Amino acid sequence: MQNPGEGTRPGGSFAVSCERVTFSYPGSAQPALSGVSFALRRGEYVGVVGPNGGGKSTLVRLLNGLLKPESGRVLVSGRDPATEPFEVRKHLGVLFQNPENGLVAPFVEDDVAFGLENLGVPREEMRERVARAVRAVGLQGYERREPHTLSGGEKQRVALAGLLAVEPEILVLDEPTSMLDAAGRREVLKHLGDLRFEKTVLHVTHHLEELLDADRILVLNGGELVADETPERLFSNADFLRENSLLLPVVPRLALELGFPPAKLRTPEELAEAILARTQSGTRSL
Amino acid sequence: MTTRSLGQFYPVSSPVHALDPRAKIIATAIFVVGLFLIDSTAGLLFVAAALVALVAVSRIPAGTFLRLLRPVLYIVALTVLFQIFFSREGVILFEWGFLEVHSGGLRMGLFLALRILLLVSSAGLLTATTAPVALADGIEDLLSPLKRVRFPAHEVAMMMTIALRFIPTLGEEAEKIQRAQAARGADFSEGGPLRRARSFLPVLIPLTVGAFRRADELADAMESRGYRGGEGRTRYRELRYRMSDAIALALTLLVLLVGIVL
Amino acid sequence: MKLELRDVGHVYARGTPFQVEALRGVSLVVEPGEVLAIVGGTGSGKSTLAQHMNLLLVPTSGEVLVDAVDATTLTKSELRRRVGLVFQFPESALFAPTVEEDVAFAPRQLGLDEEEVTERVLESLRALGAEELAARSPFALSGGEKRRVAIAGVLAMGPEVLVLDEPTAGLDPAAREDLLALILGLREAGVSVVLVSHDLDEVAEVADRVCALHEGRVSAVGTAAEVFYADPTRAPATVRVASLLRGASPGIGHPVRFRETLDALRAQQGT
Repeated sequence: MQNPGEGTRPGGSFAVSCERVTFSYPGSAQPALSGVSFALRRGEYVGVVGPNGGGKSTLVRLLNGLLKPESGRVLVSGRDPATEPFEVRKHLGVLFQNPENGLVAPFVEDDVAFGLENLGVPREEMRERVARAVRAVGLQGYERREPHTLSGGEKQRVALAGLLAVEPEILVLDEPTSMLDAAGRREVLKHLGDLRFEKTVLHVTHHLEELLDADRILVLNGGELVADETPERLFSNADFLRENSLLLPVVPRLALELGFPPAKLRTPEELAEAILARTQSGTRSL
Repeated sequence: MTTRSLGQFYPVSSPVHALDPRAKIIATAIFVVGLFLIDSTAGLLFVAAALVALVAVSRIPAGTFLRLLRPVLYIVALTVLFQIFFSREGVILFEWGFLEVHSGGLRMGLFLALRILLLVSSAGLLTATTAPVALADGIEDLLSPLKRVRFPAHEVAMMMTIALRFIPTLGEEAEKIQRAQAARGADFSEGGPLRRARSFLPVLIPLTVGAFRRADELADAMESRGYRGGEGRTRYRELRYRMSDAIALALTLLVLLVGIVL
Repeated sequence: MKLELRDVGHVYARGTPFQVEALRGVSLVVEPGEVLAIVGGTGSGKSTLAQHMNLLLVPTSGEVLVDAVDATTLTKSELRRRVGLVFQFPESALFAPTVEEDVAFAPRQLGLDEEEVTERVLESLRALGAEELAARSPFALSGGEKRRVAIAGVLAMGPEVLVLDEPTAGLDPAAREDLLALILGLREAGVSVVLVSHDLDEVAEVADRVCALHEGRVSAVGTAAEVFYADPTRAPATVRVASLLRGASPGIGHPVRFRETLDALRAQQGT
């Protein structure tokens, strides 16, 4: 099998690879990440979960070069973010948790253009790409709005547009909905959902229901990678979830307790249907 | 909730708003210098009339514009009073005990008051008719020749843009913190000035700490988006001089010349 | 303490072009020792309503009554002591050099003597599971720890009613569970809790009664079961599941909390 690290070169089947990555924050006794190894295939949609302080945010920052590992190796599209951060950032975009502190410019369209300006994209091309990105997140008409007049969901969509304009193949989402209300979360998740088929996505979150469609879920606890499983297998293991401070949302939890596969039923309606179907088939067999 | 404070951008479309920001900055600079070259009240009044006309053309409501001047009213009043009571020029208009009001003092007070108001108005008009991004772009462009002597023109402009972007956000944050502390029993209205100043610590401290944290997060976000200073950067906004800019500059010079002559 | 809002209306920026009517004719009662949830979308007026409970905002029409007495006749400090309000993301207001001092701020503002203050500080930190944090700097804490300290700071006032505006926003599941447990604990101790939340599943676990706001008006009020079953499409997941099955099995009843819903569904399956 192809070495994942080598496989992240253009044309290879891997987008990101981490090999025994270790990192400690200065002045901290415990490493924030310890010997973490995993790889993302091109086009995969992988979730990352775990308790706060477990290393999720650290991982994100190692992937885009904001932090450098003390040992081990990170490769993104064939490049090392520690030595070539600028190059890597063309291929890997990060959507952070707090959209407020990620918006640089006084107007929406200027902010969306920010990444393109940094890349030295010529003006004509910028205008087109900005317009396209704004459309992709459904914010046509918002171009001249000021960030502080926007709702949380809208701000996060502006941030997303800013990422999309740069056209990275890989998207890393660092708890993108945790500061949003229900409506904002729905908005943002809808647009993220549209993207997962075009891009390789790494989605860090506390909300397990956002990962029902994920190919795999990585669990980070205490800086270690303690699991790399499909949603189905992860959600079915109640003890493991508890040990790692993971909480299933209501519907999958009910499903699990009632003996249904927890990752297949997402909405209350689907669960109700499944229960009705089972009762009916039960009475029919009597 | 928007905070319309000193000199904030008023977004309407007008011929003045459409002018190139560099032209407006240069015009304002020339205006400020010119103000100090005018030595007659008549000249200042003429220039004031021209400025009023300009405010009208820029479609900024009178009320909004006058609010820009509110913070300086104290200084203006002090200046006028100082001149009135301490000048010994001209004829005595009336006496009151040992205080003498001379006609010269009155005239000088008026003159200085006008000049201060015009100074503030010109700066206010600049920021009211020029979007912060445009302003920063204009400044960066005008300062860029200085890059040759290693002056960080781009960084200065970027700092300004970011500061301008966060003013309303920090304003809202300050309000929010104030309300939270009020809910904990903080009272910002009681006691003498020293006591009141101290009572703002529970607002200032978290606001400042929060601002630093924001700065960190913003720096991370900017770097993550490929920011590495001004090198190799292109600009989304275009700055182009037009005929109207030349006309505006010419008019400014003309008005000032008339004012100086008067 | 019985806190009542009678026909409360609130207009922001009256007389200016930015005028907005955030609350219209809201009448609501907070009974002693209950958990009342206020739900509604963004812009429904939830936060505005919360700020009327301790008169941080004054109604432009209608009145706020504390034990049948007009709240505007009480002194500000008295009212804010009896009705504690914790804003969303309250940790942004932490400012003292140590956690102890920060939590002591409110009791000191109330003019209590140092002994009483120390006791209150200890009690509230304990209630929030944050005693070990006492000597640390609030700025060096994790998000969840900061949140707990901020809430302790308000709890230290010894309020009879505690209003929490989106207290679990941004918290991880473990911290969220702890907070919900705290709410139930406060209720046991006789403190009424007003929980403003957009998360209906969370509300389902702790609320006795629910008040739904829509565009500044009360669209429904009653027990959690009453309000949620009246409109199951806009209800917590537990209610949505149960209501879809009630047609076939009315024996399910009206469960709201997770445990009782699970039990009801299991019982129904057993038949």
